[in-house]
Amino acid sequence: MKDFQLAWRNIWRNKRRTLITAASVFFAIFFALVMRSFQLGAYDRLFKNVIESYSGYLQLQHKDYSDEPVLDNSFVVDQYMLEQLKKDPNVRSVVPRLESFALAAAGSRTQGTIVMGIDPERENEVSDIIKRLVKFKLSPEVNEALKKEPIPDRTKKLIDVIGSESYASIGRMMLDLGISLEDTSSVLPIFRRQASFSNYYFNNTDTQCVIIGDGLSDYLKISVGDTLVLMGQGYHGTTAAGKYVVKGIVKLPTPDIDNIIVYIPINSARELYAAPGMATSAVFSLKSNSDKDVLLTAGRLKQIVSDPLVLKPWRELNALLVNQMEADSRSGMIMIGILYLVIAFGVFGTVLMMMAERRREFGMLISIGMQKRKLAKVVSLEILLLGFVGIIAGVIASLPVVIYGNIHPIRFTGEMARMYEDYGFEPVMPTLLPGIFYLWQIIVVLIILVIAITFSVRKIFRIKVISALRA
Amino acid sequence: MKVIEIKEVYKIYNETEIEVHAVNGVTLDFQEAEFATIVGPSGSGKTTLLNLLGGLDLPTSGQILIDGVDLSKLKSSALIDFRMKNIGFVFQAYNLIPVLTAKENVEFIMSLQKWIKKERDQRTFELLKSVGLSERANSRPAKMSGGQQQRIAVARALASRPKFVLADEPTANLDSKSATTLLEIMGKLNHEEKITFIFSTHDPRVVKMAHRVITLEDGKVVSDEVRE
Repeated sequence: MKDFQLAWRNIWRNKRRTLITAASVFFAIFFALVMRSFQLGAYDRLFKNVIESYSGYLQLQHKDYSDEPVLDNSFVVDQYMLEQLKKDPNVRSVVPRLESFALAAAGSRTQGTIVMGIDPERENEVSDIIKRLVKFKLSPEVNEALKKEPIPDRTKKLIDVIGSESYASIGRMMLDLGISLEDTSSVLPIFRRQASFSNYYFNNTDTQCVIIGDGLSDYLKISVGDTLVLMGQGYHGTTAAGKYVVKGIVKLPTPDIDNIIVYIPINSARELYAAPGMATSAVFSLKSNSDKDVLLTAGRLKQIVSDPLVLKPWRELNALLVNQMEADSRSGMIMIGILYLVIAFGVFGTVLMMMAERRREFGMLISIGMQKRKLAKVVSLEILLLGFVGIIAGVIASLPVVIYGNIHPIRFTGEMARMYEDYGFEPVMPTLLPGIFYLWQIIVVLIILVIAITFSVRKIFRIKVISALRA
Repeated sequence: MKVIEIKEVYKIYNETEIEVHAVNGVTLDFQEAEFATIVGPSGSGKTTLLNLLGGLDLPTSGQILIDGVDLSKLKSSALIDFRMKNIGFVFQAYNLIPVLTAKENVEFIMSLQKWIKKERDQRTFELLKSVGLSERANSRPAKMSGGQQQRIAVARALASRPKFVLADEPTANLDSKSATTLLEIMGKLNHEEKITFIFSTHDPRVVKMAHRVITLEDGKVVSDEVRE
């Protein structure tokens, strides 16, 4: 009789108790995996959105720039070094940016702004500014024209409520105006005809033009084709001043940025700030963006980059967001921890009962010649099997839910959907496909089982045969 | 040939403030193939003496030698191994392993001793046949009567050809017919296998069958009668 066979039979001698215990492990692992998968899936999507919309997965910066993001902490773009960096197998391209501040003026209004010098062509490889260009604009005139069109009454009422608004995403506009998916085909052509906003992105020949945030355009009361004056301080205290034509308007999710952002071709920015050939950062476009590959790439590129330049992976670039997510993740882990604690008591209850019930049997087995270590091995196998039944069932049951949730993510509605759309993100919460977090949940249950095993093994080694036989 | 030597054995319990002399200076020998019974009133020390003989408990003083080996000199795991190889046990409450079939229960100790399968099967078959339960080989204990379970327990005790079998009131839970059958089987196996049987009992049928009757009172041997 093999130990495994004996252990397997033993766990089924009290079917109901085994099923209840295995079911408790099953539910714990099932809920923990599904909950964690949704949580990590949401973080994954959020990080991807934030990183791919602006910061990129890896940046090259002056070592002091993150502490003091001013033009004086910029660096000269060394083309030879950039070429060397691009030779790395995981690097697709390196896109420089020059970021500073200026006072923007139009007519009688002025506003302090962030001026972001970008490479018009290559910036799209690392961020999605082009996707943020305003596509539809509601204004009193546009709204009056729309209300005369055959659109749902609900939408007409909402147009009145909203008044003036710009939309970079059709999805967000549909949500705001209560346009259902069924109405899309009939209503959208009307909006395209009446509310479309003519908008342009840079091309390589553009020099004296800018793209500004929708909030800034509202404040300065300027639109596409109008002129904007920028005044500020250039590199090493020089005076920076220039006159630019607004070529496009972008709608950014964060009002604080939307109200002050000015995008300008990087060469124009260098000219404005008297910083020829300089950049405040260079964003890497990578072939593989996995954490491991980003760090490996950074490790390799460090050999090429010399002081005062440093490489900043996305976790450092988005430290605040990472910290917030980690804090949120910890709260999720506490919930799961409580779940496991309850399960641990369940498993311990079963083990305690099993040990008490079978004390006499253990006494008999030791008296007829079964070594205590062999008995401990059989009992340990029983506890492991009991846990594995629950673990395997829980993992198997979670897989279809997690895979389905990844292919067909939960779609938000209402305020949550608006918030996502505002940030330019699809309002969905996908699950994260099975990965290392599956292993962690299994390890936690195994730790509970190991503690239960330690307890029972200790009990077995302390058994006194005579008193056990009298039990 | 002496299988067991008991020399001036005392077992004193101090569980309460009053000392209890469960075994009080017993000196005995058991020969090969003996069919002996230990009798006496409740509390006379029968079970304690049997536990000492089986190495389940150790004497307060004195020596118990099995084939010349002093049990009190063996370490815990060596003592368990010694029991497995040399001593068979038959308990009052049968104590079969409930998740194993009759056949598996009988071959359990042989498995612990790592007998090869062929020999194990052969020995199990012989013993099940001897106790008249070949047809119940694949039944689990819960499906068998008390008498049948005790016969399987006897087969298990004899499986690894121990030097002696200790049986603590083996017929106490059996009806008259089952007890008689069991005793006949044990008598036959004692004769065929030349294995020493030592019983503790109140049952007059067991006493009647025994070749030697040792009477205990207050932990002392008051008579040791050998019958022809």
